[in-house]
Amino acid sequence: MGALSNVYDPEEILWKGCPCGLHATMYEHQAALSGAEGSRFYAAESTQGTAPRDQGPALETLSDLQSPASQSEGPSWDNQEEVMVNVAKSALLKGLFGTDMNRRNFLRAVGSTTAAAAIASVIPIDKAIANILDANGPLEKTNLNVGFVPITCATPIIMAKPMGFYEKYGLNVEVIKTAGWAVSRDKSLSGEYDAAHMLTPMPLAITAGAGSAATPWTMPAVENINGQAIVLATKHLDKQDPTKWKGFTFGVPFEYSMHNFLLRYYVAEAGLDPDQDIQIRVVPPPEMVANLSAGNLDGYLSPDPFNQRAVYDGVGFIYKLTKEIWPGHPCCAFAASQKFIDETPNTFLALFRSILDATAFSSAAENRSEISAAISPKNYLNQPTTVIEQVLTGRFADGLGNVRNEPDRIDFDPFPYHSFAVWILTQMKRWGYIEGDVNYAGLAEQVYLATDAAAVMKDMGMTPPTTTYESYEIMGKTFDPTMPEAYVDSFAIKRG
Amino acid sequence: MSQDVKDRLKAMVASIGFLVVFLAAWNAFVVAQSGPAADMDPELAALLGPQAKGESALPTPGDVGSEIWGHISNPFYDAGPNDKGVGIQLAYSIFRVLTGFGLAALIAIPLGFLIGMSKLAAQALNPYIQLLKPVSPLAWMPLALYTIKDSEISSIFVIFICSIWPMLLNTIFGVASVRKDWLNVAKTLEVPPLRTAWRVILPAAAPTILTGMRISIGIAWLVIVAAEMLVGGTGIGYFVWNEWNNLSITGVISAIFFIGVVGMILDLMLGQAAKLVAYAE
Amino acid sequence: MNKANKIIKVEGLERSFPSTEGKGETQVFGDVWFDVKEGEFVCLIGHSGCGKTTLLNILAGLDQATSGHVIADGFAVEKPSLDRAVIFQGHALMPWMTVMGNIDFAVSSRWPAWDKEKRRAHCQQFIDMVHLTGSENKKPAQLSGGMKQRVGIARALAIEPKVLLMDEPFSALDALTRGSLQDELLGIIAQRGQTSFMITHDIDEAILLSDRIVLMTNGPEARVCEIVENSLPKERTRSDMHTHPNYYPMRNHLIEFLVNRSKSFREELASASYDPKNPPVVRPAADGDTLNQVAS
Repeated sequence: MGALSNVYDPEEILWKGCPCGLHATMYEHQAALSGAEGSRFYAAESTQGTAPRDQGPALETLSDLQSPASQSEGPSWDNQEEVMVNVAKSALLKGLFGTDMNRRNFLRAVGSTTAAAAIASVIPIDKAIANILDANGPLEKTNLNVGFVPITCATPIIMAKPMGFYEKYGLNVEVIKTAGWAVSRDKSLSGEYDAAHMLTPMPLAITAGAGSAATPWTMPAVENINGQAIVLATKHLDKQDPTKWKGFTFGVPFEYSMHNFLLRYYVAEAGLDPDQDIQIRVVPPPEMVANLSAGNLDGYLSPDPFNQRAVYDGVGFIYKLTKEIWPGHPCCAFAASQKFIDETPNTFLALFRSILDATAFSSAAENRSEISAAISPKNYLNQPTTVIEQVLTGRFADGLGNVRNEPDRIDFDPFPYHSFAVWILTQMKRWGYIEGDVNYAGLAEQVYLATDAAAVMKDMGMTPPTTTYESYEIMGKTFDPTMPEAYVDSFAIKRG
Repeated sequence: MSQDVKDRLKAMVASIGFLVVFLAAWNAFVVAQSGPAADMDPELAALLGPQAKGESALPTPGDVGSEIWGHISNPFYDAGPNDKGVGIQLAYSIFRVLTGFGLAALIAIPLGFLIGMSKLAAQALNPYIQLLKPVSPLAWMPLALYTIKDSEISSIFVIFICSIWPMLLNTIFGVASVRKDWLNVAKTLEVPPLRTAWRVILPAAAPTILTGMRISIGIAWLVIVAAEMLVGGTGIGYFVWNEWNNLSITGVISAIFFIGVVGMILDLMLGQAAKLVAYAE
Repeated sequence: MNKANKIIKVEGLERSFPSTEGKGETQVFGDVWFDVKEGEFVCLIGHSGCGKTTLLNILAGLDQATSGHVIADGFAVEKPSLDRAVIFQGHALMPWMTVMGNIDFAVSSRWPAWDKEKRRAHCQQFIDMVHLTGSENKKPAQLSGGMKQRVGIARALAIEPKVLLMDEPFSALDALTRGSLQDELLGIIAQRGQTSFMITHDIDEAILLSDRIVLMTNGPEARVCEIVENSLPKERTRSDMHTHPNYYPMRNHLIEFLVNRSKSFREELASASYDPKNPPVVRPAADGDTLNQVAS
């Protein structure tokens, strides 16, 4: 029955309860598609077999239903293409006959072989099937607005426009420059942006209702790893040691940012309480350099190009790259509302694929110079190309008279490990941004779409990681994602 | 040559003189700030900007002049959603200002009329107007974004809310202080209320209303720049922000120039309108 | 003249305001009775504060009496009417309208159905009458004080009212201008037979213009003291009226009233012979024939 049936067999019951014919009722169909363990938006195509973890109550029901069919002749679940062809044929016949009873009566009357030929003569069945298989279904909409904050972290989102990655997936995307993350968040919440560049902690904060009304938000992909730095004003050349920073004022771009959490982590490891011994101010990235030059800030942990820009303008020096604090830490994210995914799944998938594609392209060192030239103009980052190139290629002046070579100063890796989210939540808990009992894994898995990312990446011929939880070593301290509460408790300097 | 023409000529010469002195001082200041280029490894020098090599962060008047000329000579180019010519950006801002201002006038003037004609209404509504009037227009922005959920309409709303108060208050004041004699003339002539409003009260209060409108458009133009810097997207405020984002002082100064010129033109236009309705007693 | 139709009848008029101390009411004037007959020119003389302007406003319908009423042409006055034109103390011209515009505003209110041509011609007639030909398109600000008041006169007369009410129309003008305007007004009124009521505190103005003069005592609680009939002949002018033997008796009587009796009349009021409905009528003349108790 269903996807594995011979559609020309009059005795087969094809469309009993649900559109795919696999489930007895519509309810079971929905349950299988939205199964907690499986991919929520990807199920429509991968239906079964490609789902990363073949378990959970909903899927058990599925295998029960399959078993009689898989014993009979015909396509098996191992051959996904055949399954799809069969589903497509079934859909076509449904369009032709309307009800299952009609189909079976017709086939009984004329015989299945004659019927197959007759149907093929009126419908170009092979072509129709090819169309169905070709895409994941028609795009619900093709004109999209994607917001970005003009920093190098957003490289994949931005360069996908001038370098044609959105077009490749049939999308007409306008990338809209945004003044800051608060505006980016508000415009995303209001639906003006279909998806946007955010900071990795933001979708967690939005979903948890920290700093805004709680709205289910998702983070299908990380944009960049590493790529931030601690910059100090030139007058602090002699204070290249965090223990000497008591009384300093630092800038971070947003409260719910890796910048804030990494700076806090770093100074706390040096024995300073970030809420008492130093002052941390939220400063929009473009204003960091001017504030540093005016003496309002002693330093900042900010996204590039504003670290490099301080060096370029001779007002500060790069004290520490964040990859020296936590190699491979996430920073910015590609984020979308749950609503966007639910209402336009095919469009979302196409957008997701173009981002993954662009991220992979951005990650390759040999493409970085070309990307620098593409994203420097006024329409995108609006910065001197030299500055962007130093950030992306990792060959840069550090403001201390050296030219450093750090090819992994910034890298682009889309995989949204659940453990990233857990670490961020531990820091939000540690510094009092969220209170009470935190369902670390639950929130991480709801917001960070690691399972979906793995499925799409695999489908695109990429190799996703096999696990969504990893352990990290940050400044000599081990983080175990399975014991978040113990991790929070282990810090000497914390709130609450 | 009449004395009047002579005086005006003198003022013009003085005006130009001030400008020349100002530009010369500016230029001298920038040149004095620039130190000699430091002796630097060429490989490193290639990675650094002019400022790190001793140049002043401030542009010279010449830099700003050529930047402004560059914008004027190609005002309507469109190189994507985030990079449009200054003409297009100004058009966006002017459109928002005129829309918000126009809507405010449509409401403030008739409403002010009604309130101004009734002492009771004026006294009953006065506390609310006094409470809302001093609120910074930008304080409405988060509320607008949250409730309207559209940044374009929100910007227009902010313009609307900031331009409504001066017009409302001036209309109320203008209408309430129409000379009793004129109203008595209309009464003894048995002029119907609408005709009195149109032929007597409106022309009598028009100069005061126009003053309110002139204050309003000035505020609206100040506010749109700030609102667009906040919300971004398009408009002259976004233009400033984009130049600031590039830490381009030259760009910011030329944007200030354009903002000033447009603000002046808007004010002159209402000034002309005010002249049309002005009367001497 | 007694048999002539009474256009205005003032009957027991009283006007009070809430007193400034917040307790009770202060009466400005009360028990005021007099009338204006058709074609007659009546002046009201009194010191400031006796409620002259308030009285005129009640006559015009711009203010309401506390008690009593005004009958105009057989109907109680409740609101302003085009039948009673007012010339205001300040000229009250609309400064944004031209001379023509100001008069046309009145004319088009009177005859809304008239077309522009007809209104223009009508207005022009009155502009010529007050000798402002050539100034039709000037704004009030471009006119002298005297010229402005001429426009006021033209505007009031252009609507051809039954009664012309004037509130010290020349008080803001210099003596020379005032004189020539008085002469002009006298001519126009005589020529048109215009029924008029004027408030003034200028004795010569009253003697020159009026047929009868109502004397009002000082406020508060002002009353009509008596009514003086003008004993000078109708054909008088400002330049020759002082040569008439009756001029000084008239003038002296009025000055005596303004200087002394307006203050002390309270005692006279208390006397039993005073009847507010029929205040004494006097006719000061050289032949000594002064008292003339005429029932009205």
